[in-house]
Amino acid sequence: MLHVENLHAGYGASEVLSGASLEVKQGTLVALIGANGAGKTTTMRAISGGLKPSRGRVVLAGQEVQGLDASRIARLGLAHAPEGRKVFGPLSVEDNLLLGAYGRLPRFFGFRTKAQTDLERVYDLFPRLRDRAKQASGTLSGGEQQMLAIGRALMARPKVMLLDEPSMGLAPVIVQEVFRTIRRLKEEGLTLLLVEQFAKSALEVADYAYVMERGRIAVEGTPAELSRNERVIAAYLG
Amino acid sequence: MNVQIIGQMAVSGALMGLVYALIAYGFQLTYATSKSINFGQGELVMVSAFFSLTLTNLGLPYWAMIPGGLLFGALMGLIVERAAVRLALEQKSEGWILLTIILGLFFFSSAENIWGRDDRPFPTPISADPIHVLGVDVTRLELSVAVGVIAIMGAIELFKRRTLLGKAFEAVSADRDAAELMGISATRTVMLSYALSGAVAALAGILVSPITTVGPTMASALILKAFSVAVVAGLDSGFGVVLIGMCLGALESLASFYLGSGWREAPGLVLLILALALRPNGVFGKATIRKV
Ligand SMILES: Nc1ncnc2c1ncn2[C@@H]1O[C@H](COP(=O)(O)OP(=O)(O)OP(=O)(O)O)[C@@H](O)[C@H]1O
Ligand SMILES: [Mg+2]
Repeated sequence: MLHVENLHAGYGASEVLSGASLEVKQGTLVALIGANGAGKTTTMRAISGGLKPSRGRVVLAGQEVQGLDASRIARLGLAHAPEGRKVFGPLSVEDNLLLGAYGRLPRFFGFRTKAQTDLERVYDLFPRLRDRAKQASGTLSGGEQQMLAIGRALMARPKVMLLDEPSMGLAPVIVQEVFRTIRRLKEEGLTLLLVEQFAKSALEVADYAYVMERGRIAVEGTPAELSRNERVIAAYLG
Repeated sequence: MNVQIIGQMAVSGALMGLVYALIAYGFQLTYATSKSINFGQGELVMVSAFFSLTLTNLGLPYWAMIPGGLLFGALMGLIVERAAVRLALEQKSEGWILLTIILGLFFFSSAENIWGRDDRPFPTPISADPIHVLGVDVTRLELSVAVGVIAIMGAIELFKRRTLLGKAFEAVSADRDAAELMGISATRTVMLSYALSGAVAALAGILVSPITTVGPTMASALILKAFSVAVVAGLDSGFGVVLIGMCLGALESLASFYLGSGWREAPGLVLLILALALRPNGVFGKATIRKV
């Protein structure tokens, strides 16, 4: 479903990714773990088009998308819930969700009706968002904002969803809730690429995992394989 | 001092101040999506007014001329975006400042060549006879300015709140990169904001021309005051520019009545100097723009 090959990207003259390759098969959850600054966020941005890769290929559902504008890639079925959530603070929770489905909705009138089933689905998943539907999203707690960021990405009915550090800065109880949600989305058949600091939790939900070091994939395998790999244990699971 | 006269002057001035507010609102529209403004906006007001005058002279009735003028303004806005803003923003440079000024100068000399240097009257079917409202005399012409300004600002604000495209406009204003991740094209949204800003400038020209006449320099004073209003009110509050615009208009009218017509420009300049002194980063310093 998502196929990344020999990806190179960076900021200005400094190259951060030097040939990263990975694959996310349909209906699977793939985890991408690695130390701070390894290039995980950069990988996601290079996939979703926020950053133009200087070399390499990104294939989404059979179509090459590297070099396209982020908005084009999003409309082709890639949803990216970015690091730091990036909700539209001045807009209401519901407006944020509606904008998640921007690519499939009429631009002027009738968009709310058309999005109703998807809205209900997200509200069922995150009942707290329903209570706060009319509230400005900037006033939500960190955990609620993360739920909104995930809900907004779901609204697109994406072929693949990228989720960058959903647990960042959240209390342990909330982190557990986020992981329960991720597990549930996976069971519903969503195709997911997940970046996480909590390597252990990530490996528990993942079907396959990649370990990134200095802009390259250093180790890959099933969670069971990685949990036996001494290098991985020492660096990330200790 | 006569309360009646003060009231009269203040109301007349405040109505004219709405034109400053409208032009300042045009700055807000593009600043929201792109953190850039057209420094040649005054020339856009002027060429749109000339174009609308030409439409009228071709025999188009007033009410049919207005949409034509707005469309022309929108088109000019798109030209400004394409020619002076887009590349600079892509390169994350401030080049748009100089480029929009230069494009404005180009519009100015084009207008002189096409329409000449003379000030010309702008015909309107709206009567300039005073009518009595709440104890003061105002003309229908002055009222038409207020109605036009409130109507277009109201329509644009409704568009932003009620349509998905409008919400996308707000999303790009809040976080351009995140909006792109939703499938919203930031480039197109910036184009939309420049088109709206151009249409707003054109309407300002159409509304004010019957009162001030049309000429190449008609907007130079207007634009200075619109800047003052934008600097004082901030670049994110439509309500703020209306309030400050009306206050400035009223102050000018009173200054010119009590101190002499030479003092008409004083309040605007004092306001601008004060605002810049208290907020030295001016229009562009993010943190320095106060929310009204
Ligand atoms: N906008 C930027 N401009 C310049 N350099 C950047 C930028 N963003 C990231 N970098 C650099 O790129 C490298 C990789 O950063 P990236 O954010 O991809 O790492 P990460 O694996 O996501 O780390 P973390 O776990 O802290 O989120 C770092 O050295 C970082 O300093
Ligand atoms: Mg990161």
